[in-house]
Amino acid sequence: MAGANLDNMIRGFQNRLARRHLPIYFERLERLMIEVRELTKYYGDRKAVDNISFSIQKGEILGFLGQNGAGKTTTMKILTCFMSASSGTVKVAGFDVFEEPYEIKKRIGYLPENPPLYGELLVSEYLSFVAELRQVPKAERKSKIDRVIERLNLGEVKNRLIGNLSKGYRQRVGLAQAIVHEPQVLVMDEPTIGLDPKQVSEARELIRSMRAERTVIYSTHILSEVAATCDRIIIIDRGKIVAQESLSGLGQTKTQRTEMVVQRVSDDLIAALKGISGVSGVQASENGRNRLVVESDSKEDLMAEISKTVVDKNAGLIRMSPVQLPLEDFYLSLISGSKGSRQ
Amino acid sequence: MTGLKAIYKKELRSYFFSPVAYVAIGIFLFIMGMIFAKFVEIYHSYKIANRYGAAQNITLDRLALFLYQNMAFILCFLTPLITMRLFAEEKRQHTFELLLTAPVKGFELVFGKFLAAFTLMGTMVALSFSYALFMIAWGNPDVRIIFSNYLGLLLSVGCYVALGTFFSSLTSNQMIAAVITFIALIFLWLLQTFAQGITVSFGPIDVGPTLVYISPLTHLNSFTEGVVQMKHLIYFVTFTGLLLFFTHRVVESNRWR
Repeated sequence: MAGANLDNMIRGFQNRLARRHLPIYFERLERLMIEVRELTKYYGDRKAVDNISFSIQKGEILGFLGQNGAGKTTTMKILTCFMSASSGTVKVAGFDVFEEPYEIKKRIGYLPENPPLYGELLVSEYLSFVAELRQVPKAERKSKIDRVIERLNLGEVKNRLIGNLSKGYRQRVGLAQAIVHEPQVLVMDEPTIGLDPKQVSEARELIRSMRAERTVIYSTHILSEVAATCDRIIIIDRGKIVAQESLSGLGQTKTQRTEMVVQRVSDDLIAALKGISGVSGVQASENGRNRLVVESDSKEDLMAEISKTVVDKNAGLIRMSPVQLPLEDFYLSLISGSKGSRQ
Repeated sequence: MTGLKAIYKKELRSYFFSPVAYVAIGIFLFIMGMIFAKFVEIYHSYKIANRYGAAQNITLDRLALFLYQNMAFILCFLTPLITMRLFAEEKRQHTFELLLTAPVKGFELVFGKFLAAFTLMGTMVALSFSYALFMIAWGNPDVRIIFSNYLGLLLSVGCYVALGTFFSSLTSNQMIAAVITFIALIFLWLLQTFAQGITVSFGPIDVGPTLVYISPLTHLNSFTEGVVQMKHLIYFVTFTGLLLFFTHRVVESNRWR
């Protein structure tokens, strides 16, 4: 027993030595940037995060979706070593948050829910403070700060006090703070909150531009945002992961719907449509009597069949289009089940 | 060490780019100026009395003791003003998350902040050296006593700032941090006088003298008299070090809450 323990200790030590001296080798070796296993966090008696596990590959952009208080922020705080877990293991870039938080902190950028800004500093001073804090070598500091200022269009507020900036600018300075040292892993808690639509699309562009070179994990409760930027999403509800999928696979698990507008609706037509194999239901849409929605469970595309039926019945087909099951519906279907028990 | 440097520079910038430093220095120099004027007046009247054959023979450095003890007491009031924001403000502004998720070691964070506040307080004390220059120019004090006074003052300021840093790390409310620091400092200060009457003892420990020993005033007194002793130096350094260690523990404990 003692021998095995000693063996483990030696192996652990070697591992750590190797990491310290061959960092590049190890970083290449480990494609898994974030690895969370059976993570649980209690606040007093309340379980904020309940036994969640997930992992993120290098270069992936992951959206973290959930209602307020679902446990997104808590998970992120644990990932960034701000808080410790109650149980479970979390590894970032191959380092354990519990054992080597310092190594992780060197490799991450973090934008908390409230951007951490000093109102009494100028934007440029603040960024140079963060760059120094994040151990950007002195020689590169200026060029990196200039780059991030340009990237986030902060040029015109560079010499203004942060305390006097508008919400949108403050959020952008927060974003700049998170990426100024060009971290391997970027953790962002609702990065687009408080931005106007143009800035939101710019921020998304920025996040997308980091694909492949960095690993990004960010939380939001805006669904369209996830659809626009992420490779994969995790939906979390009351501390538990309820869905974990790549974005392309999302809509397909549910029923397909086809919406059409015809000139004449008849019972005959509806009966004929119901007769097509694979069609599970036909509904007259609420807004306008001439609008029909055909639902099908079949994996195949039934559009051709449906259109043929409509034309045969001489219903006067005007328009016909597939309805992608919106992400919203999918999302709500996942979390509504638990809604009743919530007070 | 880059972390320590970054934090030190940022703290100093925050002090000097906001009114805090100037208000504190202004108040300090104003009060000290009044006390110094009074001091000059007293010294003058002694000299006149002396000339007409009065018995007391008071020297300038003897009287300076009165000046520097007052200064140490006034610094008790000003320290909370300076130290209250150190950690409390970070928590309120949510910048604590930035500091705790950056590759900065706990001691760099605590020590950087301590050093910045100490630098400001030290600057204040150094500015008061102008009074000493007046004394040297127009009187004939023992310069060595003046220097030992300043050494004692700087060491006490170290204690005060460490205490203030510690209380600031406990709360996110600046006012609470300031009030508790102030009460603690006054309490420690008064301990020297009030604890002398206590004659209770638990076993081998005499409560009275122990409490007197804890008060920084006890140790400062020897400096004001021009005696620099190792035991007093050690007292100040351990007092400061211990409180900074406690602060470090509190800061680290934020991860577990």
